[in-house]
Amino acid sequence: MTWLTWRQFRAQAITAVVALAAFAILLGVTGPHLASMYASSGVPGCRATCTDRATSFLGVVTGVYTLVYTLGIAAVVLAPALIGIFWGAPLITREIETGTFRLAWTQTITRGRWLASKLALPGLAAMVVTEGFSLMYSWWAAPITEAARLAPGANFPVGMGPFSLLAFDAHGIVPLGYAAFAFTLGVTTGTFVRRPLPTMAITLAVFAVVQVAMPLGIRPHLFSPVHSTVSVAQRFSGQESVSGDTFTLTPDYIFGQPGAWVLASHAVNAAGQPATVMPAACVGPDSGNSLACLASHGIEVAVTYQPVSRYWAFQWTETAIFLALALALAGLCFWRLSRRLS
Amino acid sequence: MSAVIETQGLGKRYQRKWALSDCTLSIPAGHVVGLVGPNGAGKSTLMNLAVGLLAPTAGTIEVLGRPPAAGAALARVGYLAQDAPVYRALSVADHLKLGARLNPDWDAGLARSRVERLGLDPHQKAGTLSGGQRAQLALTLAAAKRPQLLILDEPVASLDPLARREFLQDLMESTAEHELSVVLSSHLIGDLERVCDYLIVLVGSKVRVTGTVEELLATHHLLTGQRRDPDSLPAGLAVVSASHTDKQTTLLVRTGGQVFDPTWIVSEVTLEDLVLAYMSQAVGQAGRRNHHLEVHQ
Amino acid sequence: MEFHLDGRSGVAPYLQLIHQVRQGLRLGVLEEGDQLPTVKEVAAGLAINPNTVLKAYRELEYQGLVAARPGIGTFVTGKLGGASLAAHAPLRRDLRRWLTKARRAGLDDESIEALFQSTFRSAAEEDIA
Repeated sequence: MTWLTWRQFRAQAITAVVALAAFAILLGVTGPHLASMYASSGVPGCRATCTDRATSFLGVVTGVYTLVYTLGIAAVVLAPALIGIFWGAPLITREIETGTFRLAWTQTITRGRWLASKLALPGLAAMVVTEGFSLMYSWWAAPITEAARLAPGANFPVGMGPFSLLAFDAHGIVPLGYAAFAFTLGVTTGTFVRRPLPTMAITLAVFAVVQVAMPLGIRPHLFSPVHSTVSVAQRFSGQESVSGDTFTLTPDYIFGQPGAWVLASHAVNAAGQPATVMPAACVGPDSGNSLACLASHGIEVAVTYQPVSRYWAFQWTETAIFLALALALAGLCFWRLSRRLS
Repeated sequence: MSAVIETQGLGKRYQRKWALSDCTLSIPAGHVVGLVGPNGAGKSTLMNLAVGLLAPTAGTIEVLGRPPAAGAALARVGYLAQDAPVYRALSVADHLKLGARLNPDWDAGLARSRVERLGLDPHQKAGTLSGGQRAQLALTLAAAKRPQLLILDEPVASLDPLARREFLQDLMESTAEHELSVVLSSHLIGDLERVCDYLIVLVGSKVRVTGTVEELLATHHLLTGQRRDPDSLPAGLAVVSASHTDKQTTLLVRTGGQVFDPTWIVSEVTLEDLVLAYMSQAVGQAGRRNHHLEVHQ
Repeated sequence: MEFHLDGRSGVAPYLQLIHQVRQGLRLGVLEEGDQLPTVKEVAAGLAINPNTVLKAYRELEYQGLVAARPGIGTFVTGKLGGASLAAHAPLRRDLRRWLTKARRAGLDDESIEALFQSTFRSAAEEDIA
């Protein structure tokens, strides 16, 4: 049965290997130069003015490097979806459409054994391939990631900070969880929907919804966030928006907590209550440095955040959640097939 | 001989409609059984139930003494689905490898010699084979696992006459050589007449008549005589179908013994007459039921 | 010995096979000691049920014309009496007389043939049953 699974999976496996190779070549061609730029930027092992050096390094990462950076993130984030659609969705639906399930399920092999083999090999390959893309990409983007850590306010397109939306999905080990989930989602949907194209569409839709719902709704609450206040006097980096006599302060990052994931923030007065109205003294063109004025009135920013030290806890937890979902879907698939669809 | 397929009140329903109902059969071993009936009568449903591709809604079925789809049962039953599905991207040799890997009792020598004799190119992709070649490949896969029972769902329906002949020749040779029991279905009795020695007529989801061909031909007769009401016949004769002209009545009857009434000319029936008679009987009953419904509206 | 089947003759296949073996013996195509084609060969060649061939061979054995040797095959053992049709002059005369009677009774060619065929067939089946 392993032979048959391999033989049926062969073309898809070859496509994956070719894609991996192409990606590797792209990264291999641009990576070394990026690394040497980084080495000569003065950032590695710097003791002073790291932020400035990092910012200027990021300034020279332009053109093809930005392109590869963006493409790379896109590739790693899309890979599980493509696997779900092109490996998972057709697995059973093609057999049903062509009638070959009537050949496969009347050999001397139980349906359970057949399904186990059909899930194991491609499922494992899905995880390995996706994680392969991710690891190669993480290796290539390491200089940028490191520089971003040192210069959190720098202006760089897409996915800065380990917790930022796309970066979290593209690095670490979560890609293999997503791949397992997308693959089993495709296969299991097929056992209900039975036709290839609708299955592919539904798999894509459900996967997309989950991938959006997870970081927005669930991930922030995986661990209870830290509550703290941030001074606006010095070393505050963020947006201040004033309208009439109301203002809001939105920090980009928290000094002393590089890479932290800011979930919420609002300005508070000295008593700790939310402050939205500008103190009279700070209004007007000759109030001086607006932030300093606010600070002198006891205004601070209360932030809710996840510290970067929890990054790997988040990664492992989310991966475990998706692997558990994948197992549950696989179980559903076995149950569905054991009821003997025609 | 024990029964190869035994069913008791077997039925299968899809949503509101019964594809097969009230099916009680005991198909003996050592025969080539023809399952005949019009399209949609339930033939494929019965076969799918026998190989475990479907689960019954009502009743029970046992194949070679076991419920279908238990691992051991699958080993001894060879199945050929309608239109002989094969993996289009896999070659002929790949299919044989599939058979070898998925069946413990696979006879590789038999498979190889069959493929050679049939003139199939082992490296040819199955998707490029003709209909007749696909059917032959599928039969090879079913036969080389050395089953006791072969179940073939309309194996020759979409084949040209030459391919049909070759397939049946091949099937008969395998049947003789390996002492197989065979159940094959068709909506045309002509396909089955020469090869079957046992018949099951399935019309409108119900079994109408079963028996060896010899027995069926001996117990069914064509009666021709003056125009009259079929109810005036002597007892012991079951009328299967009746047709009337102005002056003449023709009846196809089923009887336990000889017909002695001198007012009738008694002649033999062919299998085709017999099957058609049961089909029209079923249509007549369905028509009466529908008429009943209209009246009550 | 090559068999063939006429699907439209209305005669049961096994009877046709028996008839052809007997013809073969009569015409000298089959001689004592010859082996008949195996059941498998006949079933495969004509695409008919092997049980049909078995039935024919068993009936021929019952008629004393062949003998089955298990594991080897079925062999011709007997002869059909009356090698030459010419030797049956008395039968021929009787038949001539009957034909004259039939014509005098008003039967045309077709009716004579129909009468002969149906009587012949029912008598043949009664013999075998």
